[in-house]
Amino acid sequence: MNILPSFIKRRKSPTIQTKFAIYNGLSKIVIVLAFNAILPIIVQKLVYDHIDKRLIARSERVLLTVKKGGIEEITLEQDCSFESYSILKEEFVAIYPILDPRKMSRDMDISDEEWRSSNGEAMKHRIIKRPFTYDNQLYELNVGEGIGSIEQLKNTFQQFSFMIMLFFVIVSLFIDLGFVSILMRPLNKIMERKLKPVPSPNNFDFTKINTTTREFNKLDQRINEMMLMLKDAFQIEKEFISNVSHELQTPISIIQNRLENLMIDQELNEEVMIKLSDSQRTLNRMSKIIKALLLISKIENDQYLKNEKIDLIQLLDEVLEEIEERLIEKDIKIIRQFYENFEINPGNKALLYTMFTNVINNAIKYNKEGGNIIITTKTIGNEFTIEIKDTGLGMKKEDIPTIFDRFKRLNNSTAEGFGLGLPIVKTIANFHQMKVRVDSEVGVGTSFTFITEINTD
Amino acid sequence: MNVLIVEDERSLSHEMEIYLTKQNFNCDVAFNGKSGTDMVLSNEYDFVLLDLGLPDMDGLELLREAKKKKCEAAFIILTARSEVEDKIKGLDLGADDYIGKPFSLAELQARMQAILRRKHGLKSNVMQIADFEIDISNRTVHCNGNLINLTKKEFDLLHYLGLHKNRVLTRTQLTEHIWGDVLDDDYESNYIDVHIKNLRKKLSAQGSVDWFETVRGVGYRVNL
Repeated sequence: MNILPSFIKRRKSPTIQTKFAIYNGLSKIVIVLAFNAILPIIVQKLVYDHIDKRLIARSERVLLTVKKGGIEEITLEQDCSFESYSILKEEFVAIYPILDPRKMSRDMDISDEEWRSSNGEAMKHRIIKRPFTYDNQLYELNVGEGIGSIEQLKNTFQQFSFMIMLFFVIVSLFIDLGFVSILMRPLNKIMERKLKPVPSPNNFDFTKINTTTREFNKLDQRINEMMLMLKDAFQIEKEFISNVSHELQTPISIIQNRLENLMIDQELNEEVMIKLSDSQRTLNRMSKIIKALLLISKIENDQYLKNEKIDLIQLLDEVLEEIEERLIEKDIKIIRQFYENFEINPGNKALLYTMFTNVINNAIKYNKEGGNIIITTKTIGNEFTIEIKDTGLGMKKEDIPTIFDRFKRLNNSTAEGFGLGLPIVKTIANFHQMKVRVDSEVGVGTSFTFITEINTD
Repeated sequence: MNVLIVEDERSLSHEMEIYLTKQNFNCDVAFNGKSGTDMVLSNEYDFVLLDLGLPDMDGLELLREAKKKKCEAAFIILTARSEVEDKIKGLDLGADDYIGKPFSLAELQARMQAILRRKHGLKSNVMQIADFEIDISNRTVHCNGNLINLTKKEFDLLHYLGLHKNRVLTRTQLTEHIWGDVLDDDYESNYIDVHIKNLRKKLSAQGSVDWFETVRGVGYRVNL
């Protein structure tokens, strides 16, 4: 089980910037594709409008000629129809007499049709058809213009515009990305500076983030305000604990000294003596709880100096020597696996001594008779680890996350203690920027691993 | 031996006075810094037991003043103050020892003895308990010329019990003396009994230890 904060393990989700880039890219591609699909239709419409106007004008001109000079001006052939085709311009003018008036359209009609010119080539043409009466005879005037080249034009246009648009899309995408990244810079700063995990609100960076964006300003301001409130709340709690603990020391001193004075009396009967001694023990327990609370609050308030160089193995040896008798008493063997030594610098030796004493003491307390305590020191990557592992009772998985909570005692535990030993351990480890990992298995044992980053400088 | 107790908490100074008087010290008591300073400068004391949190001034000021006037007394600072620097500052200013409140009177007495030994050099640094000679400077124990190999803690226990001979020292007092600086989670451990058992075994191998009494349910006593 890992006591490391949960954010370390969480899978990384995409950033706003990535999402923006994906959205921008996709939407632009959709627009380009849609435009590219519509473009031929627009081109066709424009070209047709143009051609149609031309056809109408020409047909007007032909009709005018007919009106002025008679149909004979144009129709020279017997069947009274006329066809004229200009190959170069792909244009033609044709007049047909209408024999069956029912087939005739009443008004002008423009449509695309295949038209076979006199040289026998069939080609697509835009043709205007206009009925007119001349000399009580119905005629139909057809004026046409070849449109085969328009298809080609459409394709060329489409390709060309596609290239241009693609170019602009790419350019604008880069501009967008640049802008978004500038826009998001304050947010990234907020993320970096304000949302990084800090051991306590005291370590929070309250400097204002420079931004002209109102939302980010507000976010930054609110985070600062909330952290300030948290900081104050923490401060009040710490001061309260510190003051209460401090104020309780004096009355405890008085009672303690009074008990001692009472016990010096040689005439006391045995029963009273035992009661006084028990009271002394109870008082001592209270005093220890207060001392522990005071210790924690003093560390958290940075009232301890951290200015010593500590040789870790030497320190562990001192701790082991101190509790040697306890080991012998329970027939517990210490297995030293000191693969590497490490200097804690800067540190507070007395505090680290207390920390390791508490952990090793725990390893003795919760060990079985004749068990082992394996202490391993080694370097993994740029981390130095100290593992203290016992072969004892172990803990249930669900109990592990709360073992560092103050006054928390495991329900099934029979060993004495007031539940501040491990909170002290955690506080001292934090004070020295050490991570603590706890692994445990019921019936197998528990291990505490202290992890400290190796300073490369 | 003359002792000045500078402590504004009257109940506490009273208990200290009772205890020290029983140990044949002559005690004066000052309840504030001003009268404390006056008394330190006008009388000759062997010890000044100084509380730092005085109502009218910082105890360290009194210490500074006294040292400036070349006061010969040994100063022991008694305080519940939580500032870490106090201890260092106090010792830097010339205090001889520092005890955090709450403290045990037996412990206070032991510290005073240690200062006496250090400062003035007692005539003999050897404590005699029956056939056992306890050399405090060299931290050795001999019985009829034979050296007895004791661990550091066993020696400390024997010395502490000898210092308070004919009085019961409770398990709590002994535990505090041996492990006072270590703040661990135990308050009902029997480690003291283990140490005493080992100590007694080592001593009894060399001579009679009839004087080493167990007081049922309370603690131990060196009865001479």
